[in-house]
Amino acid sequence: MPYRILVVDDELHILHVLSLKLRNAGFEVHTARDGEEGHQLARTIMPDLVITDVQMPYMTGLELSSVLARDKATASLPIIILTARGYLLDRNDVDSSNIVEVVSKPFSPRSVIDLVHSTLEGGADRTSPLEAA
Amino acid sequence: MKKTFTMILGCLMFAILAVSPAIGAGLLWVRESGGNTAMVPWFFLWIISAGCLFAILLPVYLAARSTLGRLQVYVDAADDRLAPSAPRGPFWLRPVLKTFVETVEGFRARERELQMNYRDLEIRNHVGTTARMQIEAVLEVMNDAVIVTNTFDEVVLVNSAAGRLLGCDPTSVVDQPLQEILADQAILEAIHSTRSEGNLVECRTFNQVLGGVEHSGEGEGPSCEFTLACVADHREEVAAMVTIIRDRTREEELSRMKSEFVSKASHELRTPLSSVRAYVEMLVDGEARDEESQQDFYRIIQGETERLTRLVDNMLNISRIEAGIVHVDRELVDLGSLVEQAAETLEPQAREKNITVHRSLAPVDLGVQGDRDMLYQVVLNLLSNAVKYTPQGGRVTLSVDSDNLTRAVHVSVSDTGLGVPPQDHERIFETFYRIENYKRFAEGTGLGLNLCRHIVETVHRGQIGLDSKLGMGSRFWFSIPMGEEAALRAA
Repeated sequence: MPYRILVVDDELHILHVLSLKLRNAGFEVHTARDGEEGHQLARTIMPDLVITDVQMPYMTGLELSSVLARDKATASLPIIILTARGYLLDRNDVDSSNIVEVVSKPFSPRSVIDLVHSTLEGGADRTSPLEAA
Repeated sequence: MKKTFTMILGCLMFAILAVSPAIGAGLLWVRESGGNTAMVPWFFLWIISAGCLFAILLPVYLAARSTLGRLQVYVDAADDRLAPSAPRGPFWLRPVLKTFVETVEGFRARERELQMNYRDLEIRNHVGTTARMQIEAVLEVMNDAVIVTNTFDEVVLVNSAAGRLLGCDPTSVVDQPLQEILADQAILEAIHSTRSEGNLVECRTFNQVLGGVEHSGEGEGPSCEFTLACVADHREEVAAMVTIIRDRTREEELSRMKSEFVSKASHELRTPLSSVRAYVEMLVDGEARDEESQQDFYRIIQGETERLTRLVDNMLNISRIEAGIVHVDRELVDLGSLVEQAAETLEPQAREKNITVHRSLAPVDLGVQGDRDMLYQVVLNLLSNAVKYTPQGGRVTLSVDSDNLTRAVHVSVSDTGLGVPPQDHERIFETFYRIENYKRFAEGTGLGLNLCRHIVETVHRGQIGLDSKLGMGSRFWFSIPMGEEAALRAA
């Protein structure tokens, strides 16, 4: 049974390339174009991991992370943040959610796959999400 | 000597002439008095004495008068360099004259000295007045508020900037207590303590919000930088305090805007760059497994590269216009034909979405003085936005008309698209501002409308605006002042 991953981004090309990379790596991938759609889909499909952009319509990636952490059904869902903003995450955002990693855009799909593996399999030591961006 | 002798002889003759009738009268009086001759010698003696005395005193009087006259001319001379030589006078007046002339010359020397001192003071006064006027002029044109107070914390000087900042009339607050114009207790205490410390060498500088003044921005008051300095008198004691207040509100706003611009620009550049990097890596890793996928990847990379180029071009164009270094090629531009040209360019995109593009060009002179390429860019941007945000089967209308009242040519681009929420009407012209929920309808740099505003308002002194209701379509419009010929015809 492959891991189920939800990718949320309003940039169609990013969504497309990440989905393809993850599918080629053997993951089951679901996509959403904004935070709200991502939240609904997460509750429906119960993914093992969420990869989300930060700046999106209706609900930002950080809001989505908080909402998922507050929701009992998705409270333990690990989240990887993709951001083009180049700023460090606020500690409150990290503490109130399950953000495990922050990846800055432009990113390498290869390194995202490595990160997904390490997150899902609890493998290699990861840097703090506060320092990663 | 000859002159003196002649004068004395003249006097004697005059005396004799004066005395002769008196002698005659005396003899007549003796004969008529009955021949009493006892009094005759005394009478003659008296007459001769009076004549001699007169003969002596007359030349003395005449000599003294002449000498005093010359002395008067000598003393009255306005400039001692033009004065005649000092009168010598008769021998018996010379000691007095010498003393007098020495005294006069002493006075003259003193007068010369005083005149030099006076001229020196006049020059110093002129230099001082000029310096004071220059300092006052500098203080007046300074953007920083300057307040000078004395040791009793009374206002000595307030410049115009201080008047504006503190809301007072600089001319009417002189001699008033400082607290009458400066309500912030913390600042008053800082001024007081700095004066008490009396440090004449170093200024005291600190940043603080200035309370008690009218403030249009956020917070309790404007964010200011204060510089306090003691002014010394000739005894090296504190004679006055200078308080300089620099309003940093605009500076901080600009700094915030700059940071925000860099952050937004970075975000906007990173997004297409992410796609390029990711797709290139996918191609390198052989993740595009068939020819069609590879072609798709190349197309995406090409599209995102073009997006990056547009973004950088727009950013550079905006920066050039903001910096005032853009090259403007002004010529007579017919906005009607420009609109036709833009409509033809975007016809294929409109046809793809089954959107009809109508043109409504007024049959009048639609010429303006402007840069053809820049104005074409404005029309193209507005028309492109209209096509992008109008759903399938919609309608876009391009109108061009001239207004003789405002002497401007108006262009409007109306669509039956999504419309713009009221709260976004002004912000939509800001750099990198995009209506978040509309991003999925079309790609954009978030710079197009900002560039349009700069081209219309900064380069062509025109106006740009938007009328829109959410869900009811939008009407973007701009107006450019008429060309000189058209304006003349309209007049």
